[in-house]
Amino acid sequence: MEERLVMSDITMGAMAGHAVPHARAVVYNDNVIRKFTIATMFWAAVAMLVGVVLALQLCWPAFNLGFSFTNFGRLRPVHTSGAIFAFGGSALFATSFYIVQRTCRARLWGGEALHNFIFWGYQTFIVMAALSYVMGYSRGQEYSEPEWHLTIFLVIIWVAYAIVFIGTVLMREEPHIYVSNWFFMAFILTVAVLVLGNNAAVPLSMYSAKGYTAYSGVTNALIQWWYGHNAVGFFLTAAFLGMMYYFIPKQAGRPVYSYRLSVVHFWSLVFMYIWAGPHHLHYTALPDWTQTLGMVFSIMLWMPSWGGMINGLMTLSGAWDKLRTDPGLRFSVTAVGFYGMSTFEGPVMSIRSVNALAHYTDWVVGHVHSGALGWVAFITFGAMYYLVPVLWNRKGMYSHKLMAWHYWIATLGIVLYITALWVAGIMQGLMWRAYDQFGFLQYSFSESVNAVHPYYVIRMVGGLCFLTGTLIMIYNLIMTVHSSTTERQPAVAGE
Amino acid sequence: MEEVSEIVVGLLVLVLGLTGLVMASGALDNGIYIFGLTLAGFAVVFEIGLIKAHYDRKERIARGGAAGHV
Repeated sequence: MEERLVMSDITMGAMAGHAVPHARAVVYNDNVIRKFTIATMFWAAVAMLVGVVLALQLCWPAFNLGFSFTNFGRLRPVHTSGAIFAFGGSALFATSFYIVQRTCRARLWGGEALHNFIFWGYQTFIVMAALSYVMGYSRGQEYSEPEWHLTIFLVIIWVAYAIVFIGTVLMREEPHIYVSNWFFMAFILTVAVLVLGNNAAVPLSMYSAKGYTAYSGVTNALIQWWYGHNAVGFFLTAAFLGMMYYFIPKQAGRPVYSYRLSVVHFWSLVFMYIWAGPHHLHYTALPDWTQTLGMVFSIMLWMPSWGGMINGLMTLSGAWDKLRTDPGLRFSVTAVGFYGMSTFEGPVMSIRSVNALAHYTDWVVGHVHSGALGWVAFITFGAMYYLVPVLWNRKGMYSHKLMAWHYWIATLGIVLYITALWVAGIMQGLMWRAYDQFGFLQYSFSESVNAVHPYYVIRMVGGLCFLTGTLIMIYNLIMTVHSSTTERQPAVAGE
Repeated sequence: MEEVSEIVVGLLVLVLGLTGLVMASGALDNGIYIFGLTLAGFAVVFEIGLIKAHYDRKERIARGGAAGHV
């Protein structure tokens, strides 16, 4: 049972410039948050390990091992879904439940049975989805691989999540709804709409795992990338921005630089992101005007993205010195830097003429990983380093030195990863479009595959560095919870 | 709230578990067979957890503790 005065937490309502009327004891449900925190780190290790195996397979195909269930095609969705939905999703459940209780001064609504259903149901969904992929069941649509029966199970869990989160906001004792909660609500509602829209399918039978998508041809492609891009926009961006707007002010001990800008950031981001999907379908059968629309909205996204990035970074005004002493804050701030970088790169790649070079190359994979590793994973690591000592009532992390090691190894890993794939991707694009003096293609496809091999090895080493850093973090977190050196000392009478 | 939550969630999970058994019983492929059995197994374990949590709370209250949460 956790009982704390919210006023001892830096009140986010006060940060937003709103008066805090009174402080009242609130019994939070931190139990479900602890479970999701453990799941976050478990799935981080699994998803990144599978990523390294896939990188090895791309370097040396013998690592496919000759089994159907270990080949690249089946393991890839295990990696992507593991990183996005298992690692990222568990982190979002943990942090959204933590933040909504503290900023609303209300216990999670719906009862502990419902919270436990969300946790165990979501973990069961992840395991069943991963199992179905290695068995060869897939819709064949990126980030939307689960067949119809798994989608229905996910929707039930997601509705329960929405009920708990929105119920807590409705029962709040804080008059103001802090901006993080707006980002989380947009994420919850939009993901629900996206999954229901894109995963609409007609099953062969109630007893068959195969279903056929409700759309066909280019309509299916458009709806898939409306889903796919907004999975990035609302799952991997909006929700993690909710995390940023809570944990960076908490870690820095400063209010958000401009609360007004954070609200502008929210509304402009959610309005623009939803239109950007067609930029994934340049030079396809999709009508030109639709492609242009997607491109233009992608370029417009520079404004809210960089506004948010500047807001996150400027929150450190007067507290920059903490970057030297708090590696957790260093993760969060570096994450904001990567957020700025990848949200600059994305719109550039959406420009039709740039896309002509970039599309289908490893530049896209590098771009995705600068966002996934640099932004999503780093902001999560920063939040986890903050949360674990708080949730397990420890006085601090077990080892700051290990945190620093994690930071530098992971940063080195990202740099190796994205620079290798920039070079590989642009080289691929240039080789595929090169003509000789007779008008024939200058290179065969296999020549471009051979040319990128050294960069694939560098990418694998980068991924291995990132995985190593994550394992160091897991060790550090376990020691934080179990070591006697991190125990809180009882207060001495008279002090 | 806790008791209502336990009843509502318990019934929901019961329906899910029974649906899993029906799907596994008529499965045309391994995907649905494993899904159905997993769903049924999940339901059984979850219901046992609910019953345990219910009586743990009753015991805590009987011992004079708050009707709090594990």
